[in-house]
Amino acid sequence: MTWFAWRQLRFPALIVLGFLVVMAVFFAITGPHLWSLYDGMKTCHAHGDCQSVKNSVLNGYTKSFPIVQTLSVAFPAILGVFWGAPLIAHELETGTYRLAWTQGVTRARWVFTKLVVVGGLSMLAVGLVSWMVTWWSSPVDTLNATRLSTTVFDSAYIAPIGYAAFGFALGVAAGVLWRRTVPAMATTMVAFAAVRLPFTHFLRPRLISPVTQNVSLKQAGNFGFERGPSGLSFVFGDPAQSSSLIVSDSVVGNNGGSVTQRWLSDNCHSLLNVGQATTPKGAPTGVRPTAFNDCIDKVVASFHQVVVFQPASRFWSLQWIELAIYVVAAALLGAFSYWWVRRRIT
Amino acid sequence: MTFALQANDLGKRYGRKWALSGCTLDIPAGHVVGLVGPNGAGKTTLLHLAVGLLTPSAGSIKVLGEVPASSAEQLGRIGFVAQDTPVYENLSIATHLSMGAALNPNWDAQLAERRMHDLGLDPSQRAGRLSGGQRAQLALTLAIAKRPSLLLLDEPVASLDPLARREFLATLMEVVVEHEVSVILSSHLVADLERVCDYLVVAAAAHVQVNGEIDDLLASHHRLVGSRRDLDNLPATARVIEVSHTERQTTAIVASEDPILDPSWSVEQITLEDLVLAYMSQAEEQRRELVRAKVGAR
Repeated sequence: MTWFAWRQLRFPALIVLGFLVVMAVFFAITGPHLWSLYDGMKTCHAHGDCQSVKNSVLNGYTKSFPIVQTLSVAFPAILGVFWGAPLIAHELETGTYRLAWTQGVTRARWVFTKLVVVGGLSMLAVGLVSWMVTWWSSPVDTLNATRLSTTVFDSAYIAPIGYAAFGFALGVAAGVLWRRTVPAMATTMVAFAAVRLPFTHFLRPRLISPVTQNVSLKQAGNFGFERGPSGLSFVFGDPAQSSSLIVSDSVVGNNGGSVTQRWLSDNCHSLLNVGQATTPKGAPTGVRPTAFNDCIDKVVASFHQVVVFQPASRFWSLQWIELAIYVVAAALLGAFSYWWVRRRIT
Repeated sequence: MTFALQANDLGKRYGRKWALSGCTLDIPAGHVVGLVGPNGAGKTTLLHLAVGLLTPSAGSIKVLGEVPASSAEQLGRIGFVAQDTPVYENLSIATHLSMGAALNPNWDAQLAERRMHDLGLDPSQRAGRLSGGQRAQLALTLAIAKRPSLLLLDEPVASLDPLARREFLATLMEVVVEHEVSVILSSHLVADLERVCDYLVVAAAAHVQVNGEIDDLLASHHRLVGSRRDLDNLPATARVIEVSHTERQTTAIVASEDPILDPSWSVEQITLEDLVLAYMSQAEEQRRELVRAKVGAR
């Protein structure tokens, strides 16, 4: 049965193999160059050109990066749609299930073998792509310290293997429910995105309870005032912790509350009397520096920044947890399809 | 005594509609059984229940003494050719045979290859490019190379032209003689079955109407022709299946183990076709009455 499960996949498998080869060739051509640029970082201190070496690494492949990452993120979904959804649906749709399920192999073993063989190959194919992407992009990821950003986290390392298992199992389940290939494919695509996007943006930052840090605004520095249509308002940026995954970021009064326009008008009256545009980090033009500094001092004295985040050190924990969750979800979906084919398609 | 198929009050329901109900059958092994009935009679349902593609909603079914599809061994003993003879369009004949070899413990590779050779089929040809007759022959080959004890065929010749039909049935009969296999094949045409079968099951309106060895059925059914009148004076055991009247004459199909002695009837030998049609029209008449009663009750 293993042989036949593989044999039925041969044509779709060849297409995927072609894709893997194209990716491998691209990485083989560009990767060594990227890494040789990166090696310059080791000696840059002696030459005093660290910034220019860094820029050469970061700017070398700015156009390729989004393409590679998009392909890597889409690949598990594509396998779910083109390998998972038709796996059983196509047999049900064309009637060949009547041939398959009356051979000398029980239906249970037939379904199980197909799920394991094709599901395993999906995970292998995505794992290979992810491994190549990881190798290719790590010079840039390391310099940028952005492994926890969604573009890197979702396209490299081990989490994509979980997406592959999940996408495949989702496709198979949609297929046995629809019993028709095309609606099953569409359902797989939509359901995959409907799970992945909220997971990435809402669940991942909370997989481990995040760290909360109170930062004095004295150290922050990245704040100022901005004049909008409704008047002068206080603005601030994320703290300089770009390698971590920021869950939330707020400026809170030492006794609660935030920097409202009301607070500004009460405490920084002199700032409000000017009519020019302002910039976040500097004094509004036309404002006397003393008035600006005066207000800054008042804000620093009464407020502090509260940052909730996942530190960069948790990268691997988050990758493993996410991989485990998606693999478990895939196993449950696979068990459902197995049960459905045995008990409901009768 | 081994039974090819035993059904006890077997039924299959889809939603509220019964595709087959109250089916009780004991078909001994060693026969070529014709399962005949109009489209929608429940023939496919019965055959799918027999190979385990479906599970019963009521009653039970055993095939060769075992629950269908209960194990790989059980599946290996049954050869099945489904309606419209499904094959994998993208796979070659050779791959189909490899599939059979990989999935069936008793696969007879020599038999399969010899048959493809005899039929003049190129093993490298894709199944999707075969003619209807060739496809049916491929499906039959896959079924018989399993070396089954029982072959089940669902309308195997319905979509074939007359020549392919004759060849298919000839092949089937060769297999029966050569391998001593029991066969159940369905058709909505009696003519297809008459040549090859020695046992008949008539299905209509989701019920089995009659079943038995064809010789016994023909011996116990009579065609009575006489002047126009009601049917009386028949033996107590006789059952009237169908009556038709013309202005001056009454014709009846009657089932009776006892001889019909009333001399005013001329008793004629019944043909298999007449027998089947009589049961079918009886079922159809009962169905109409049921619907009329239902509509009348509203």
